[in-house]
Amino acid sequence: MKSFFPNSLHSRLLTYFIMSLAFTFFFFGFMLMNSIYLQEVADERFANERFLQNIKDELSNIQEPLEKYLTTFSSEALSKLLFTTETLKETIPSQRKIVANNQELLKREIYFLIDTYLEKATLLVEQKRGRKVTEYTNSFEEITKLYRYIGKRIDEISLQGFRGQLEEYRNFLILFRKVQIYSLLLILATIGMSFSLLTNAVISISVPMQQLSKMAGKISLGDFNIPDINCKSVNEVNQVAEAFNDMKNSIHHYIEALQKQKEFEQEIMTERVRNLKMEQLLKRMELYTMQAQMNPHFLFNTLNTGVQLAIVEEAEKTTDFMENLAALFRHNLREKKFFVPLRHEYDGLVSYFNILKIRFPKSLNLTIDVDESLLDRFTCPSMIIQPIVENSVIHAFKNKESAGTISVRIDYEDPLLIISVKDDGVGIPDKTVKELLKPTTHDYRLSSKVMGLENVIQRCYFFYPTCKDVIDIKSKPNKGTEIIIKIHTEVKPCIEL
Amino acid sequence: MNHIVKFFPIVFGVLLAVLLLLTFQSTFKNPFFSMKEGKPQEELSYHFAFYLPDSDYSFTENFKKGVIEAGEALKCGITFHSIEEEPLSLEMAAYSGIDGIAIYPFQKSSNILEYVNKIIDEGIPVVQIENEIIRNENSFQIGTNYFETGKAIGNMALILNEDKINIAIIYSDKTPGLSSDNNLIEMGIINVLGTRAGTLTTKRTSLNPLDAERLTYELLRESNNIDVIVLTDPNDTLVTVQAIIDMNMVGSVQIIGSGDAPKIKEYIEKGVILGSIVRNPYRIGFSSVMALREINLIGYTSAYVDTGISVITKRSKE
Repeated sequence: MKSFFPNSLHSRLLTYFIMSLAFTFFFFGFMLMNSIYLQEVADERFANERFLQNIKDELSNIQEPLEKYLTTFSSEALSKLLFTTETLKETIPSQRKIVANNQELLKREIYFLIDTYLEKATLLVEQKRGRKVTEYTNSFEEITKLYRYIGKRIDEISLQGFRGQLEEYRNFLILFRKVQIYSLLLILATIGMSFSLLTNAVISISVPMQQLSKMAGKISLGDFNIPDINCKSVNEVNQVAEAFNDMKNSIHHYIEALQKQKEFEQEIMTERVRNLKMEQLLKRMELYTMQAQMNPHFLFNTLNTGVQLAIVEEAEKTTDFMENLAALFRHNLREKKFFVPLRHEYDGLVSYFNILKIRFPKSLNLTIDVDESLLDRFTCPSMIIQPIVENSVIHAFKNKESAGTISVRIDYEDPLLIISVKDDGVGIPDKTVKELLKPTTHDYRLSSKVMGLENVIQRCYFFYPTCKDVIDIKSKPNKGTEIIIKIHTEVKPCIEL
Repeated sequence: MNHIVKFFPIVFGVLLAVLLLLTFQSTFKNPFFSMKEGKPQEELSYHFAFYLPDSDYSFTENFKKGVIEAGEALKCGITFHSIEEEPLSLEMAAYSGIDGIAIYPFQKSSNILEYVNKIIDEGIPVVQIENEIIRNENSFQIGTNYFETGKAIGNMALILNEDKINIAIIYSDKTPGLSSDNNLIEMGIINVLGTRAGTLTTKRTSLNPLDAERLTYELLRESNNIDVIVLTDPNDTLVTVQAIIDMNMVGSVQIIGSGDAPKIKEYIEKGVILGSIVRNPYRIGFSSVMALREINLIGYTSAYVDTGISVITKRSKE
């Protein structure tokens, strides 16, 4: 609901001040008026008695100069007498209604008695002027009796009036006491009202300020995830709160942007480091390959010579061995690309298997299970199967007396091309497995024995950085090891350095 | 806490309104305040002044009640004045602007006669209640016919077996209307008893409520042949009955009382009191106002208004 008054601090304080002032003035005014009114009513109650006493005084102001005039013929007394007589005539009411009120009826009787008194006083003055001594002497006696009687009657009526008003006076006291108590309560309630208005005004300002203060404290500690202040205070405070909310949100957004940028830069840095490491790895591999190639070229030529010699000597086994070895070397020397058709890898693996069969005719069983149709459909990183098999041949059957088995299996489970190399050797310790599967390169000087396997693992991670399960090792002590490569055929390999 | 404080102005506002309402209510409902705003008083036709003896006994009270109710019914203003201690008020009555005077002249004094004459001379109607001290064509009497009262007492005494019935009448200042000045009661008694009338003694009790007891003892010790004691005041009746019981003279001395108080009726039923004369003060008071109003309205009224008496005896109760 829209407030009738403007919602500014100035307007609100002014409104509360005026309201408090108005309440105070109104109720104090009311109490004052009520008290004055009650006093007036109380005064009216005694007006009757005052009026009667006033008449009595006036009569006294006639009787005294009358006596003086009769004894001294004083013109001053006469003028006073005449003046007071006229005043009294004007004072007493000329309309004397008969009403059902004893006091009024008794007063009425007094007014008539006063009429008689004034008539007799006038007659007395005339008798004095006419020097009718006997008559004015008798009249004076009579008027004096009447004067005293009127005075006595006035006193009686006043006394009756006072007695009658005792109950009224009691009612007045009860009423006045009640009004005083209510007045006190009204004052307290007015103070309470004013104080509560003021308190509300202060609260409407101080609470948002406290919230702002708390928010500022939290922001200073770097906590920007606090909700906005939603205060309904005066406009000024609302504006400050709104500005503060805006400021908080702006800083928050700015800091978030900075953090994102920092994270992005961090990612770039990480990527660079990774690339550098990979570059280093590749250089090492290149070096390794070159080292390996130097001898193979020589060996390859020598092997060809050996093959020819074995043919001349008709040594068939030697001829097969030498031919396979030559084929393997040829394969290794030929593949310079990162990715090769799966068939190339398969061919190289078959040559290697033939060599191994000649080397370990009894102690090693080798099986390959491949769907021929897959070999021409997919490509794979070069030199990834043979190093794994070689790793198994070298490490898996140490201290094993029985014949070992190495099985290679290539499957396709849309969209994964799954290459599995499984042996039933001694297994790889868990710790080593975890170390091997870390997507970082190792210090080869410390673990040169697994360099071929680790090289394969790190290359897989390198080519497929988004596929965390591109390679997995399942190994149990004395049960064997299975190394599974899952190439996501729909993911483009990362081959950019 | 702040949520509670928010409602404080409303609470105090309601409190202020309630207090304001209570203040108004207390002010306007207080009898002191309501007396101020009285209805405009109706103007009445006549103003009559009643000059009565100072007495708060039931007769006067009922009389005043009759006067006041008649004043209300006939729209006449009534003021009461003392005739006993303040005969000056009667002297000044002629100057008081009143339309009529009712006087209860329980005693004949020259001053009272003079003042009443003066009032009559001023042309102000005068009603004499119960006792007629001035016989004038402009003055009228209202009240009980004492001769008839005496006859009623005589008739009650007749049932006694004695040849000569000795009677003691005890008048009272407490009931000053039954004055012995005119001897009307005595005349009424003698008129009925005729030859059987014995001695007739009269006494008077003061305002002291126990004076009748003293007087009864005195009376019975002075003369042992009193057959009937007649009392003109209800209080004196009860006190005298108690004295007769105490003296073990119930039956040997008969009592004819005054008034219809329950205790008196009980004594009548038991046979301790022979009978009681009951006047009607309310009717006397009411008739007084009626008469004064009538004089003012049409110039005359009945010269004598008998408000009557009633007699309570054991037989009448049966």
